[in-house]
Amino acid sequence: MPLAEFSPAEVGTEAGGFRIVGTAQGVLRMTVWGYWPQDVVRTFSSDAPSALQKLSPSGTFVLEATELKPQGADGQEALRVLFRALAPLEFAKASVVASNALTRMQLARLLRECSLDGRAQLG
Amino acid sequence: MGSAEEAGKAIQSFYDALEDLLRGRGTASMNEVWHHGDYVTTVHPFGHWARGWTEVWATWEEGAAVFATYQGHATRTDIIGTIHDLKVAVHGDAAHSTGVYKSRLYMSEGPMDLKVNCTNVAHRIDGVWKLVLHHADQAPPEWNARIGKMVESGRS
Repeated sequence: MPLAEFSPAEVGTEAGGFRIVGTAQGVLRMTVWGYWPQDVVRTFSSDAPSALQKLSPSGTFVLEATELKPQGADGQEALRVLFRALAPLEFAKASVVASNALTRMQLARLLRECSLDGRAQLG
Repeated sequence: MGSAEEAGKAIQSFYDALEDLLRGRGTASMNEVWHHGDYVTTVHPFGHWARGWTEVWATWEEGAAVFATYQGHATRTDIIGTIHDLKVAVHGDAAHSTGVYKSRLYMSEGPMDLKVNCTNVAHRIDGVWKLVLHHADQAPPEWNARIGKMVESGRS
């Protein structure tokens, strides 16, 4: 069943936030950036797992984190909530994209902690 | 002790704290050497600028998490990294330093060396010198790739 297309709802500010976009082609893309304040952490922890439920077994998940900074404890926990929700799902492909080397290392560690290191491609 | 000597000691304390972090001895000493203000900044051999204490501290904590997977220090007694050619200049309650940080990590494939230029700025706040800026050149891509591989695999 293809992912229903939905309009992106942007949460946060230029300093830190996220946007979730689903396409009719079955791609669920979460774009995350900056350093997350508490309100963004809370909203992401709720919105991201909910959005994942729309991912079909033939779908693609992308975490676009090229502008994400290394997160503190709360931001890391929000990302763990996402990865733990993704872990039991069936999907065709999952990609995590980061350009900041330290952010990439943080995401690699969190993927490993959530047993997703073999299933999500880190680019 | 003169101002230059005091500022130099504070900056050396930063490199001692970095050694603690790399050797898995915790981040308490790193927390202690920094001013916890909104205007502090840092950049490491890997990654981009962090601005403000909250972001700066997140990078040091992540650095500690990265090197928690490094096991090469378990059997070594030498220092992992040291600052060379450290020059400190003091102007009132501000000081800056330049130097060259050299480190060696013993990875499963053999030693891996790093040599980067570093700049630090310290401010004397309530009579105590605290770091407010740390800059290190970016590491060569192959060094970053090897550290990234260490994190992904969970072993050095």
